[in-house]
Amino acid sequence: MSHLDHDMPIAPRDPAVVMRLARMGSFHQSRLSFMRVLLRRMTRENWRFEQHLFDIDDRGVGRAVYCAHGPDRTYSLVAFANDLPPEKRSDRVIATEWDATFTLFDGIPTEDDINRLANNVPKQEAGRVSEKELSLSRANRSVRLWELVVDALSKGQQPDEAKVADVGYLMRTTAVYGSGKFGAADRESIADRPEFRAPFQVEMLSVFLTRGFVMDLVEHMARLRAPDTAVSLDPALRRRFGIGNSTGLGMAPFLMTHPVLINNWIAAKEHALARVRSLPTASDDEASLFRQFCTRAVIHATTWTSEHPVQIEKLTALRKDMAALQLHLTEADLTNDMPWNRLFLWAESALSLEGQEQLVSLLLEPYGRFVDGLSDCMYADEQESWRIDGAMQTSDLKAHIEEIYDWALKIDWSEKDANARVWYVSEEKLEPRIGERHDEPIEPYEQPLCPARDAVRMYHDLCACDANLTAEFLLTHPQHRHVVRRVQIAAQYPYAEIRDNTIDASMLPIDLLRAKLSFFGACHFDPRSDRWVRINMFQHAPFPHDLTADNAEGWTYPPLPEAAE
Amino acid sequence: MIFSLSEIESLSRKAAKGAGHPWGVAEEAGKCARYLCAAGLPGAEALAGLLQAFDQRPYDECRPDCSATPWQAANGPLCPIITGAAICDRAADVADGQTITLGLTAHPLLLLPAIASASDILESGISIHWAGLTMTRMNRETWIETDDQAIRVAEQSEIIIARASSQSGARIRRSYRAEISEETREALNTLAHRTYAPDTPESRLSGAGAGLTDND
Repeated sequence: MSHLDHDMPIAPRDPAVVMRLARMGSFHQSRLSFMRVLLRRMTRENWRFEQHLFDIDDRGVGRAVYCAHGPDRTYSLVAFANDLPPEKRSDRVIATEWDATFTLFDGIPTEDDINRLANNVPKQEAGRVSEKELSLSRANRSVRLWELVVDALSKGQQPDEAKVADVGYLMRTTAVYGSGKFGAADRESIADRPEFRAPFQVEMLSVFLTRGFVMDLVEHMARLRAPDTAVSLDPALRRRFGIGNSTGLGMAPFLMTHPVLINNWIAAKEHALARVRSLPTASDDEASLFRQFCTRAVIHATTWTSEHPVQIEKLTALRKDMAALQLHLTEADLTNDMPWNRLFLWAESALSLEGQEQLVSLLLEPYGRFVDGLSDCMYADEQESWRIDGAMQTSDLKAHIEEIYDWALKIDWSEKDANARVWYVSEEKLEPRIGERHDEPIEPYEQPLCPARDAVRMYHDLCACDANLTAEFLLTHPQHRHVVRRVQIAAQYPYAEIRDNTIDASMLPIDLLRAKLSFFGACHFDPRSDRWVRINMFQHAPFPHDLTADNAEGWTYPPLPEAAE
Repeated sequence: MIFSLSEIESLSRKAAKGAGHPWGVAEEAGKCARYLCAAGLPGAEALAGLLQAFDQRPYDECRPDCSATPWQAANGPLCPIITGAAICDRAADVADGQTITLGLTAHPLLLLPAIASASDILESGISIHWAGLTMTRMNRETWIETDDQAIRVAEQSEIIIARASSQSGARIRRSYRAEISEETREALNTLAHRTYAPDTPESRLSGAGAGLTDND
């Protein structure tokens, strides 16, 4: 990661601890989350934003263009607003129409470009975009809150704060496609641009601009309804709207199909934590800043709600954890004798996984100077890491399995529950799904998303084979090529592999979703089932037009009551 | 129609799986088509031709016997995806000065990405040659001397892979898009479709874990 890190007294955490699904499903956003990386860069580089076009009628149908001008290039969000009948409003991949659809355009679109996009972007997967488009996405209204806000504003009133807090956003995106999907530009073709080197910057920029558009749209609709009485949202209340997202199973395989990239994300965060834990002392200012963030995190935990039994239990634990942390902080010395390491070790025995991982993120908050630079290490050139090393001795390959998958070797794979699930792709609009191996005829369609079982299968074949080299073994066992690649990657990249059974009967896909979404910077994880989660993004963030050096950092936790005035 | 490279890779991987390859080999087929398309070569066409001709062919019939000279398949031509993977797995032998000779091989264009990878892994110049085509990879650059007929050949009886210290022909420049004919796309789509599970009312309701409406 960095030559500095070799001398640290505290090492990054063991992958066997970090890469468990229950812990990954408790990750929180941090300074290294991609939304925060984006706003930090745009502020540092003085990006300018403008509403280039806004042409939407009283039914809410029309188009808009928002431009983001960086130091070398301009990117434009092209938005198409729709008047969607309620029976068509679905957040599933199998939906065919949405309240609004978007693309992030590379440059400023001409009228011809916008007309071309108008014929394709509203169709999403059924349309076609080009190398000038960097993303493709869509969003649906939160029906409850949308009408409430339009109604209040049109009458010259502000919407009820409690109801705003209850939902937290006016529209939910239901997919944000990037990198080459449906004809868009490949990530490779833009990865050398400094603004897109960190992961998912295209998608985060698109969502950041989408949030601004949605707020402009709701105020516009209120004005059209009652031009004489309508008012705009109060700026402080406006910031309490994030942009929602509804994420299904489709995102989960990403964590398994991009092992090097996932390693680099987690390694960056773990190194950041190790750096902070290794500090011999902290200043009074740093300690006080940390306490302030803890207080704000308490508010965050209080306002975070869910109806899902698993998350209700986790939130109860988190609130209890935050109370225990607050109590501990009334006495704790946060300035001497490796204060952060002492606090971290206390938390390991005193808090639940939710609380422990919240603390990990909080510990990074006062230390931008040690943490933020690590976002440069979160990128991966995946075209460089997929080739198999055929010269590896099979004895070494076996030893890697014994080390990385030791837990999987102890599982009885003949047990029904151990291989209860099948990850597959449905022919209906290619929607990713998961099913029951023993009840549904889906095994022939199984995707390679069960590395633990596959590594164990290979291990048994390796034990029975007298080949010395991986090349010889693979020539007679081509069915293991996929998992040889994984094992060799995991041997080189410590956080590349999940240390849990991804086809077990008790596996919760929402744990995979949360791990990824936390790196985006999402908050308020609200699972709707074991494989589908709603989140809030950019809540409390400044809007494009009011982004400044003073507010680009530290916005993710709710403001303290006095600061919100 | 013009495609992004990731679309080509994804479609090719699924098509190879659909044609009977295990996932790990199918992944190499995806990377192979991607590499060739990025080099402006007809990789998707070659892969579609191969997968159609070799559809469901047993692995042991078309894999190389790497202890023989030349490398031969047990029955019919060698599969270039499986053979390319085997060459790459043994790249160190070529860098050490050993020459690999292949007997009858289908769509040899599909071997080129494996040669490039082998050269990159070992940081050694490697070339591949058959009648009408020589490709050399060195210092992470690819040079090719050929005619259109040799690129598109469906079978080739003698192919030589050896260490190289000089290159000839034109340097390949990479691109990020590729045009694929409707016929090729249809062929790959048909094979890829075999990897998708037929929709059922049960899987529709439970498989993705979400309800069908979003009106709240």
